[in-house]
Amino acid sequence: MNESNSERGAKRSVTHHWSDYLFIAPAAIFLLLFMVFPLIFNVLMSFRDVQASTLLNFNAPWVGLANYNKVFENPTFWPTVRNTVVFTALSLLFQVGLGLALAVFYTRNFPGATYMRGLFLIAWTIPVVVSAAVFRWLLDAETGVINYVLQSLGLIKENIQWLADARYSLLATIIVNIWLGIPFNLVLLVAALQTVPKSLYEASSIDGASRFQTFRFVTLPLILPALLSVVMLGLIYTFKVFDVVYVTTQGGPLDASQVISTLAYKLTFSQFRFGEGAAMLNLLFLVLFVLSLLYLRSVNRESA
Amino acid sequence: MKSFMSLYKKGYGLSLVSLLLLGIFLFPIYWMVVTSLRTSTEIFAYPPQFIPNHIDLTYFREVVFENEKVLPYLRNSFLVGAGTTLLTLLLASPAAYGLAHLPLRGKNLLLLISLSSLMFPAIMLATPMFVMFSQLGFTNNFLGLIIANTALSLPFAITVLRPFYRSIPTELSEAARVDGCTTWTAFWRIILPLSRPGLLTAGIFTFLFGWGDLLFAISLVNSDNLRPITAGLWNYMGGNVTKWNLVMALSTVAMLPPLILFLFAQRYVVAGLTAGSVKE
Repeated sequence: MNESNSERGAKRSVTHHWSDYLFIAPAAIFLLLFMVFPLIFNVLMSFRDVQASTLLNFNAPWVGLANYNKVFENPTFWPTVRNTVVFTALSLLFQVGLGLALAVFYTRNFPGATYMRGLFLIAWTIPVVVSAAVFRWLLDAETGVINYVLQSLGLIKENIQWLADARYSLLATIIVNIWLGIPFNLVLLVAALQTVPKSLYEASSIDGASRFQTFRFVTLPLILPALLSVVMLGLIYTFKVFDVVYVTTQGGPLDASQVISTLAYKLTFSQFRFGEGAAMLNLLFLVLFVLSLLYLRSVNRESA
Repeated sequence: MKSFMSLYKKGYGLSLVSLLLLGIFLFPIYWMVVTSLRTSTEIFAYPPQFIPNHIDLTYFREVVFENEKVLPYLRNSFLVGAGTTLLTLLLASPAAYGLAHLPLRGKNLLLLISLSSLMFPAIMLATPMFVMFSQLGFTNNFLGLIIANTALSLPFAITVLRPFYRSIPTELSEAARVDGCTTWTAFWRIILPLSRPGLLTAGIFTFLFGWGDLLFAISLVNSDNLRPITAGLWNYMGGNVTKWNLVMALSTVAMLPPLILFLFAQRYVVAGLTAGSVKE
């Protein structure tokens, strides 16, 4: 129906055509100026040796791929990439896993279900700097609640120096990130689960399937597209994360919990190595761009 | 016993479980508020006392009223949040309408740009914007923060708004045009009011995003009278590392406006999440 309308509209509104473009023009111009242009600027900056003195007068010398080489040869770079991959993988695993478990629980019908489920989103609504501040307090080595609970449960013998120990700082940031990400997955997965027709569950229980079997063979295949979509979105979002790592550990101690965004920040704003920072960000953007294309492909395939 | 069973059958047993789960999950929020109401000796008590013995409001007073920077921080956050929302909606509504209805080429490119909210690390914008604004002469300026935040929120807002415009039948604007409206008047007078749920969703989302921004707040602003509360809290933490009651008090203050907005507009936030992520 929409097709014939817009076709008819196309014929009738040939005289309106230029005004139609006016609708999109403001947003397009804005994005051109403030998104595309900065992107190009970043690319150009990555090919020049830009220092603090030359940042504002565009006189920096052209150095070709030297900045990219420096990035690859930076001893912190590859551990940071590894950190980012580990951070993303573990975050997603638990965010989606716990989110799915909670979603299954919350699709049950009981008083207050919808409202309480919505309250989980508080974790997502408040500024990340606030959440990370609270977790820094919770993760305090001597007096934080988390160590207290772990000790009481007998899971650890000595207090873990979550933020100061290079072995645990990345894990600390992952814990905070999992907390931050659960509500998002919960809401989306509940929406996905609600598209499964109730009649299928009835049929499955008539056939004698257990709850777990029903989930494994009926629910899971049906929500797989949505699950994939949620995972891909989470992948793109988590890979570039900055706030949570920066506020929790600042990438420390000694770059132990550094991720790509925070390393780029350090290079750019602490060490003023603008060219290298830009190069690193371009590489990050490339990865995210490819992931986004994959996401578009997967979504298009599902609706085809 | 019988009434207990009937309550359980009605689902209240699950409600209790849900309450427990919610309590565990939101414990950090509880702990934040409780810590801000206690003295230093109490907060460092080990084992931690989960229920406070008495409540002490001095830390809120110290952080909010005696620190003359804090109320301006809040005002600045409001300005940035509201400004970002206004600019974003002004740009996003016509654009979403254009993409939804009018026969245009270049749709696919714009769809990809809509994904760019997601795939752009904010840092990629920070340095170029700093340079741009320096050249134009307005660094350390609200407009700079608003523009930076809008650059990231605009694509997402367009994505959220587009389905709302698609669901409004084209007959309406055509009828309006037959009656003598121009395309723009038809949009402004008739279509736009109909998209109010969409505008609320995108608007609330954008406000929360603008309020919660940290990166632009710390890289594009360096004077206290322009600093939003996110950057203010970050600075405060640096100088008051072990004074957790003060830090938590300031955190609570920074959390309250988005929290209140969320509690009033919960369904719009949920709608925005699902609309922006699930492609029709």
